[in-house]
Amino acid sequence: MRRFGCLLGCLIVCVFTPTTQAQTTREARPTVGLRTNPVQITLLQNATVVRRPGSVATETSILVDGQSIIAVGKDLTPPAGALVIDCSGKMIYPAFIDAYSEIDVDEIPDDGVKHWNGYILPRRSAVAAASSVSQSDAFRKQGIAVRMVAPRGGIIKGSSCVVTLDRDNGGSLLKEDVAQHAQLTIPRDRRRDGYPNSPMGAVALLRQTLHDANWYVSAQKAWEANPKLSPPVRNDDLACLAKSLTEGVFILDAQNERMAIRAGSIAREFSLQAILHGSGREYRDADAIAKYGLPLLIPVDFPKPPDVTSEAAADDVELRELMHWHFAPENPKRLADAGVTICLTTDGLDNAKSYLENVRKAVERGLAPDDALAAMTTTPASLLAIDHVVGQIQPGFAANLLIFDGDLFAKQSKLLETWVNGNRYEHAPETKAEALAGKWEATLSVADQDVPLIMELVQDKKKWTGKFIQVDLPESQPESDESDSDESENEETDAKDESADKTPEPKRVDLKGLTHATDRITAWADLSKADERLPKGPTRLTIVTAQKPGDEAPSLFASLRLPDGTQLHPTWERSEPEDDQADEKEKSEKEADKAPTFHSLKEIAINYPLGGYGVESAVASPKSVLFRGATVWTCGPEGVLESADVLVVDGKIQTIGQELNAPQDCQVVDASGKHISPGLIDCHSHMGTDGGINEAGQAITAEVRISDFIDNTDISIYRQLAGGLTSSNILHGSANPIGGQNQVIKLRWGDSMEAMKFESAPAGIKFALGENVKRSNGGDRSTRYPGSRMGVPEIMKDRFLAAKEYMDAQQRYREGKRDALPPRFDLELEAIAEILRGERWIHCHSYRQDEIITLLDLLDEFEITIGSLQHILEGYKVADRMLEHGAMASSFSDWWAYKFEVYDAIPDNGAIMHDIGLVVSFNSDDQELARHLNTEAAKAMKYGGVSAEEALKFVTLNPAKQLRIDNRVGSIETGKDADLVVWSGPPLSTLSRCEQTWVDGREMFSLQKDQQLRERDQSWKTSLINYILAGDTETDAGEEHEVEEEDRWLRFDEFCHGHDHDHDHAEHQHESDHAEAF
Amino acid sequence: MKTVLSNVAAVAMMFASLSAAAHDQIPGAPQSHPIALVDGTVHTIDGETIENGIVVFADGKITAVGSDVELPENCESISIEGQHVYPGLMESMSNLGLSEIGSTRSTIDTDEVGSENGNLNPHVAVNPDSELIPVARSNGVLLASIAPRRGEIRGQSSVIQLDGWTNQDMLLAADTGLVVSWRAFDSGNRNDGDRAKQRDERLQQLADRLDEARRYAAARTASPETTPTDLRLESLIKVIEGKCPMIVDADDRREIEAAVAFCVGQNIRPIIYGGYDAPQCAEMLKRCSVPVIIHSTYRLPARRDDAYDAPYTLPLRLYEAGVTFAIGGPGSGSPGGGSAAGNLPYHAAVAVAYGLPADEAVRAITLSPCEIMGIADRVGSITPGKDATLFVSNGDILQTESNVTRAFVAGAEVDLGSKHKTLAEKYRIKYRRQGKLPTP
Repeated sequence: MRRFGCLLGCLIVCVFTPTTQAQTTREARPTVGLRTNPVQITLLQNATVVRRPGSVATETSILVDGQSIIAVGKDLTPPAGALVIDCSGKMIYPAFIDAYSEIDVDEIPDDGVKHWNGYILPRRSAVAAASSVSQSDAFRKQGIAVRMVAPRGGIIKGSSCVVTLDRDNGGSLLKEDVAQHAQLTIPRDRRRDGYPNSPMGAVALLRQTLHDANWYVSAQKAWEANPKLSPPVRNDDLACLAKSLTEGVFILDAQNERMAIRAGSIAREFSLQAILHGSGREYRDADAIAKYGLPLLIPVDFPKPPDVTSEAAADDVELRELMHWHFAPENPKRLADAGVTICLTTDGLDNAKSYLENVRKAVERGLAPDDALAAMTTTPASLLAIDHVVGQIQPGFAANLLIFDGDLFAKQSKLLETWVNGNRYEHAPETKAEALAGKWEATLSVADQDVPLIMELVQDKKKWTGKFIQVDLPESQPESDESDSDESENEETDAKDESADKTPEPKRVDLKGLTHATDRITAWADLSKADERLPKGPTRLTIVTAQKPGDEAPSLFASLRLPDGTQLHPTWERSEPEDDQADEKEKSEKEADKAPTFHSLKEIAINYPLGGYGVESAVASPKSVLFRGATVWTCGPEGVLESADVLVVDGKIQTIGQELNAPQDCQVVDASGKHISPGLIDCHSHMGTDGGINEAGQAITAEVRISDFIDNTDISIYRQLAGGLTSSNILHGSANPIGGQNQVIKLRWGDSMEAMKFESAPAGIKFALGENVKRSNGGDRSTRYPGSRMGVPEIMKDRFLAAKEYMDAQQRYREGKRDALPPRFDLELEAIAEILRGERWIHCHSYRQDEIITLLDLLDEFEITIGSLQHILEGYKVADRMLEHGAMASSFSDWWAYKFEVYDAIPDNGAIMHDIGLVVSFNSDDQELARHLNTEAAKAMKYGGVSAEEALKFVTLNPAKQLRIDNRVGSIETGKDADLVVWSGPPLSTLSRCEQTWVDGREMFSLQKDQQLRERDQSWKTSLINYILAGDTETDAGEEHEVEEEDRWLRFDEFCHGHDHDHDHAEHQHESDHAEAF
Repeated sequence: MKTVLSNVAAVAMMFASLSAAAHDQIPGAPQSHPIALVDGTVHTIDGETIENGIVVFADGKITAVGSDVELPENCESISIEGQHVYPGLMESMSNLGLSEIGSTRSTIDTDEVGSENGNLNPHVAVNPDSELIPVARSNGVLLASIAPRRGEIRGQSSVIQLDGWTNQDMLLAADTGLVVSWRAFDSGNRNDGDRAKQRDERLQQLADRLDEARRYAAARTASPETTPTDLRLESLIKVIEGKCPMIVDADDRREIEAAVAFCVGQNIRPIIYGGYDAPQCAEMLKRCSVPVIIHSTYRLPARRDDAYDAPYTLPLRLYEAGVTFAIGGPGSGSPGGGSAAGNLPYHAAVAVAYGLPADEAVRAITLSPCEIMGIADRVGSITPGKDATLFVSNGDILQTESNVTRAFVAGAEVDLGSKHKTLAEKYRIKYRRQGKLPTP
């Protein structure tokens, strides 16, 4: 406090210096005609000034000269001629900085040095479009003086700039090259290239391009050092990006909470100085996001509650959506609590509409006012590196000020003025003419009669209306008392008719053509309609007002021109005092009563994942669990054990035997009469990922990773747990001979994206053969290579050779040979090199026997052992060749005939391959089928007579072997993970049901827990719906919404089988539907 | 478990000999003499299940059922000790015979041009040599109701029996229901008010169309010579005169309610196909006597917050609410469709795992769909007088590992071979020759 005072002292001393400085020329523009030199100094006097968050000074004045603040302090003496504005009772804040908005920016023309991919646009600059920033007044009305503008579209999108809103349209550039913008998905605005066409591909491209930028610089240097080398092909986009990488800031779009985490990890991978452009959904995983320590630009476009008026509509609303409505306004608070630096932006609002209102809502929901103010002033200023000129009320700073009639965060406070670069914008100029509003009475002398008449003038902001009202009622009766009028309000039409009979209402006639100016009102009306004694036809009215300073009411000079041309000059007197203010006060008090209290919603907590079936805290990991007295199908050497116990300690199976001793505090599960099997494993799935399944933009996409897009909120995880599934191999789709990298996950419901990954599962990759890769089932003939089964092995061989040569080049360079440019780090070839080195397992989609043999021949040539053959529906025809190679087979139990290459698929396939000695599994490739892989396994018994014990291994131990995770899972053996399923009967029976599913000794699903979750969800849903219905909250009346990022992409392999998702996916128009030419 | 396995082996061997004789499946010969299946468990469906029972059929019709039945002269007595007899399973909505290879348009005959095609008869386009048919019937599915798939008023459904030389041999009953997709008469508008308005408009259009059919019928009756024919309108007359029901494809509660209300108002007999939300309208369905054909139980919950087992418990919930229902299999969509029709019993089995009594589950894939389709006088149960369309299974048909050992369609014994079995045997021979599989 003392420091503050001292600072003020200094400022006061400074007051008089600026006036002497004012003579200096500040611009280069020549004078045209005579010079204009009005005094530009203004003193805003005696306000409460919030100079920056947390620094409040009362009775303080601000001296503004031209664009800048030149002094702030108590008792500033205005220089002579300064405009002095009395601000007593007002509060002045630094104007806000809106740290995110997007604008369309023209492409850079093809100058021959562009990046090869149409989505890589680092050289674009929003400066080029800054002049098209519009609706400045709408932003200023919300207190915004400065906006950051970023280019729209692209994956690497270009650089943003900051503009000051000191013009009617178009901003004045404050700073360019603020940051380079990028996103981890395919832009919504338009397609710019065939590749990538999925978010996974977008991330792969982004990653490769950042590597390429670094490589480009080193290649340039190598060439400069040794001009004999052939130079790298000039690419100005990479050069531009390299500069951003070394000295710039990146702003990464994060369209949902998972994208925020993904962007955070990309920033970490490339040591980017990064800021995240968030979604408002971060509260769903705030702590995980906070761990990256990156600032977040977050929107305040809080949703309206969904429409829950009809029973059926309410049934269709997801709990998740209701909870989002409830928690979205808490997002800023929760991020601040988690220690994240935030900025509050207008992103998502229609021209900043309701920005202030929503910021206040965020404060009401717990965000500290100072934090809120910082998030709109000092924080964006410092993030955008403009904190030396804006964001505070300081001498030397731009005169960007907000004048409120009260505390900024108080609901009733009005923003009166926004000052931008010293320009004053008044928003609610006090309309003085109010004095004219109200009822006036005069007596008109017409045809020897004195007819009294009331004139009522009503002002609604700038709009005026008026009417004449009859005074002498025909059979003058006392006016209806209050209770009567109340009644008529309550009883609607009936009451109205009756009252018309009893007490005649005074007649009225509206003033027509009413025009209001500061000094006059003109209009006309047929006076006879108000009082029959007055003449028929139009009477024109002119009222001129004049008011001396200090007078309470204006004087009215009125003239009436009757239809016959006679002019009257009646004297109008106030007919009765106005009592509006009292009304308004009452109204506002009423509103205050209605202010939302979330008492009834207190029990509702943020859960993981948000909404139905989410857990409120991570599923517990008990120290030890003992399953008593079950029939245990070990899938190991011990076979099936009757009345056996399984003891689990620290998530691992410790002992299997009879009547084991329970350790202290051991959780005991009575499983007598039940069956226990190992957790089921799905060797082919596409669930739990929101990155698009297929990157179909190129034939070879080894650089693409499913692991970048694990979706831990996919409800399929929970549903499949309920069918006994505990591990799943999430594969890339089948559109490419060499597709993307897969990710094996464990179904750890409620855990983080990272925790879903099966830690020790080795790397893998998807390959595919046949109809899908030659893209024969689409409409147009594709021009993408390969187009036949002949081309498939050729392109694979080509890439294997390329990877070999790539490794050699890397090796030469590492050994110090400098006879070439430094080798480029190629993510695609890195992955293929890993295959050649035996560090990455191939899982190959395959159907026909010829292509199976061809593939195995090719792999043998390169000494590669395949991880697994997927689908492998004609495996029964070439099981001998597979055996010779050492291949394993992951098949469907009985799918066939969905396309020509599976017309020879037979359900005995699994049994025959098994009998020949192959390791066989049955997989789902389908979110529904993965809910009952046990009954799929039973089909190996039906078709081909495999024993029940061996058939169960088709969905437990065998897929574990194929994924090389059988040291951890797949059987109930000492030392393995406690991934267990408790079944009501024999595990392969169609009549059994899964009762409990355990992962790592944690109970991820049980019938009992499921029941509790259903009841909780129902109760939460009911509370939220009741709350919405009880309040006067405006609901979302079917407005068009942008599809959420995670719903833009398919969640099954559209190329893989005859999926006909007319029921399940009809609602969303998926982006991949538009992907060209398959 | 052991006994089942040895049976499986025995059956496999039997197939081996069968398929060696019949490389392609030959339609069964008309029944020439009485046949008695003796000592099996007889699932009559409309009566008690009979242990060690006897079923006798002659000239294609069941003549006697019981535990103590006198066999007629010339009767071939087949011992099915330890095995089960069921009436042929009925897949209630399928594309069998109309569709061969899902992705190959030239093999698909379910989709006609235009959105109103009430006059279409699917049985005219059934390919009797479709490879999908023997696969379906080798798991006991001997009857299928088939229908066009495209448009709003899609066409008639026909019930076919899955054996015969020609599509006409296979036809059991035509005009069993006019299939209408109700989605077209609802609206997906997010705004409830707008949705109601759009729905009203569309329903009015449908009502107008039916009025048109009524007036056409009146005109045709009064003066056929001055009233030119209209095939589409002709096909609607059967429905408005109550001669055939309307099979309404609807899952959403609002669609089901609207369809029932509409049909009641129009004097039309509705059958709901799909029925995901049907338990929510149970009272209405019951009071208006509207049956439901459940579109498969191995299905995903429709809404994120729905119980994971909502599709599994759907039959139970309808059963408890007293609504008449049948359980459909994979339907005509995919994955699967007609190619997976043989999995029909498992769609019933999962309902048992989730609470439905087993007898009710079997009824829901035999007698119930036949009653709903109005063919229960011919098929659906093992009852004297009905067609001898039945099969023998070496175990509970709801259990996956059970296999069908014999089947009869109207008394004619069905070849249980299939493309699958032929190929399996062919390649087993390959590995036997290599010594990789033991010679049987």
